[in-house]
Amino acid sequence: MVFPSFEFAFFFPVVLALSWALMPHPRAWKPFVLAASYLFYAAASPRYCILLAGLTLANQAGAVLVHRTSEERRRKWIVGATVAIDLGVLGVFKYYGFFVDEVGAFLDALGLGMPLPLLTLALPIGLSFITFQAISYVVDVERRLLPPASLIDFGLYLSFFPHVVAGPIVRAREFIPQLSKPRDPRDVAVGAAVVLIALGLIKKVALADYLAREVVDPVFGVPEAYSAPDVALAAYAYAAQIYCDFSGYTDIAIGVALLMGFVFPQNFNSPYRATSFRDFWRRWHMTLSRFLRDFLYIPLGGNRGGKWRTARNLMITMVLGGLWHGAAWGFVLWGTLHGLGLVVERLLRGRIDAPAWLRWAIVFNLVVFGWILFRSENLDVAGTFISRLVVPGDATLWTPVTLAVVIGVIAFQLLPPDPLERLRLRATRLPDYALGFGLGAVVAIVGATVPSQGVPPFIYFQF
Amino acid sequence: MTTGDDPSLPQPPRGPRTRSRDALVVVFLAVVVLVLFEGSSVRTAGDQMQPGFERDVVVAVGKPSGWVADRLPFDEWGDDALAFLEDGGVGDEGGFGSAPAAARGGVPPVSPDSFDPAELGAKPDPPRPLDTLLVTGDSLAMPLDVQTARRMAERDKGVEVQRDPHVGTGISKTGLVDWGKLSTQHVREREPDAVVVFIGANEGFPLPGPGGANVDCCGPEWAAAYANRVRRMMNTYRQGGSARVYWLTLPIPRDGDLAEVARTVNAAIEVAAQPFRAQVRVLDMTELFTPGGRYRDAMTVDGRRRIVRDPDGIHLNDTGAGIAADVVLEAVRRDFGG
Repeated sequence: MVFPSFEFAFFFPVVLALSWALMPHPRAWKPFVLAASYLFYAAASPRYCILLAGLTLANQAGAVLVHRTSEERRRKWIVGATVAIDLGVLGVFKYYGFFVDEVGAFLDALGLGMPLPLLTLALPIGLSFITFQAISYVVDVERRLLPPASLIDFGLYLSFFPHVVAGPIVRAREFIPQLSKPRDPRDVAVGAAVVLIALGLIKKVALADYLAREVVDPVFGVPEAYSAPDVALAAYAYAAQIYCDFSGYTDIAIGVALLMGFVFPQNFNSPYRATSFRDFWRRWHMTLSRFLRDFLYIPLGGNRGGKWRTARNLMITMVLGGLWHGAAWGFVLWGTLHGLGLVVERLLRGRIDAPAWLRWAIVFNLVVFGWILFRSENLDVAGTFISRLVVPGDATLWTPVTLAVVIGVIAFQLLPPDPLERLRLRATRLPDYALGFGLGAVVAIVGATVPSQGVPPFIYFQF
Repeated sequence: MTTGDDPSLPQPPRGPRTRSRDALVVVFLAVVVLVLFEGSSVRTAGDQMQPGFERDVVVAVGKPSGWVADRLPFDEWGDDALAFLEDGGVGDEGGFGSAPAAARGGVPPVSPDSFDPAELGAKPDPPRPLDTLLVTGDSLAMPLDVQTARRMAERDKGVEVQRDPHVGTGISKTGLVDWGKLSTQHVREREPDAVVVFIGANEGFPLPGPGGANVDCCGPEWAAAYANRVRRMMNTYRQGGSARVYWLTLPIPRDGDLAEVARTVNAAIEVAAQPFRAQVRVLDMTELFTPGGRYRDAMTVDGRRRIVRDPDGIHLNDTGAGIAADVVLEAVRRDFGG
């Protein structure tokens, strides 16, 4: 079930009404929201619910065991085993095909070809997000930042429908304490939630899908058929599309959770304003950067141990961060590019004093270049795409609307934040009837832009 | 929203705090607006969904919503006001709702178009030059269109490959897209010299039988009704014999129920093409990817075992679509040279 769908439009009001009706009775509320979340998740495939339940039980067992164990070595061993289960599940479902294919090619190249069991395994939707959140729970319990939750609280945390499919990656210690007492029905950020949901729908359905349809998919599909003006436009259009798609999803998820009384962390903060790679990762998919920092970069040693060890740690973190997005060399190269960016700017810090506009231009264009590797179906396509950037020709896809959307999405992030925040605040203060009719109107208007093919899935659903 | 007292918890966005009742009022009002302005769309969407719990919910809400919307002018006002945002639609000509010109009694005559001249050793009529190749269908056509276009771009830069897949549609479900109308529109607006069709991932919906009553998949009556629709599309796409049509049969899916539908669709395609063998080529993906009708994930490609199917067990992945595109382009080359 995706947010911009009729199914969700009827599922959510019922769940919201019952959720607030049952809120004063946690013994009824928790099983109800757990069941609703599993129903939401089962819409993709009921079989995935078994995997979700299995991961819940395994991680809860790990957390409880860690909590009961005082000996440090045993605690580490238990956490290691639990994390290995999580990563093992992720590895089998997400990386098995890639691994077998690459190993097969390598063995063939050595003349040692042997039949490897080639199977296609459907990736359970949201598995990457679910496993990372499960890991955050067990590790935080091991670090004594959080006591083990009850099984139902942990089950709710992992399956809570606003974030189960594509995040944001909410840390256990951010969410589970919110379950400790019923949400206050007199303290709901209704205006902020509705503004977020409306903005998210506009970003996803009206902007991201439009760019995908008109520019990105045709050019990335067959870059050979286009020349430099169109290929360059497609690269910038994809930068705008992926931002609108993913931040649009996040806005809706955060808004839906707010209406239910829960607060999720922010996931985007005008990422294309960034004037350094470090700045970019503080603004783009912030919950993933935070996870990678706390659970990979710092345990590897972080910036302790000199500049070369720091560089190594940054590269490992970013390459694995790239690989987290999918089993393809394009993601590895994308992570490598960002890792190199972080390393180089760290090495140059204090040695070069470039103006802010120049730093912005360099970082922004390198980020857009990285998106080419990220979006291309494989490295051959990426190579063709890049080579077409220098082939002169006609601008067949440059229409006023397309240019306005691409420039608008990017320029909007460069505007001073205060006036925009004031505008948002004014919208949140609208009376109920205006918010309700406004949200309904947004749904109807963006619905009219949906082509006969329907709303394509969010990009991050595949991760 | 009591997280403000603990700085380690995420903070809600700035803005006024109201009551949960306000949240319900706002959401309820939004749903009312949706029903008033999009009620008929909800009903149509429900009718076209695959059977299951989600469809039951949307149908249960969609029928009364559609009933309400039909009796009020808002739906129409909304459509008029937002018409400029919608894609062109597929027009009204050639829809499956209009009755085909059926032979009434007697035995339909066999025409020369029923024979592929090459099979008879005769010299085929030269087709018009290949300027435009249209690749269309449902989601099955999606990696195929890209792979075909990419190969064509390498081989013959003078040919424009147009891609027009319609995800989630089917010949046996007309609510989302009526393929009778769409094929007519394709020909009228694009005038393709050759058309590649790969469709069948969303079939199995009841079809009107000879007596007007719906027949369920997958007996001979359903196959005949499906073949009639396919035949009308083939006839449209062949444009009186001046164009060529390449219709791909379905590789058998992993799921048993879907496999039954696919076998019926494949049988219908073969029968549908019989009167137009001179222009319509049925390209056998069934034996290529699922020999003996048995599903498999991987096959040997250039001496190496490669996965050719998507994890859903229905679609071809990029490797598989590349193999299918090679078969398509070989057939195109036989007809058009090059």
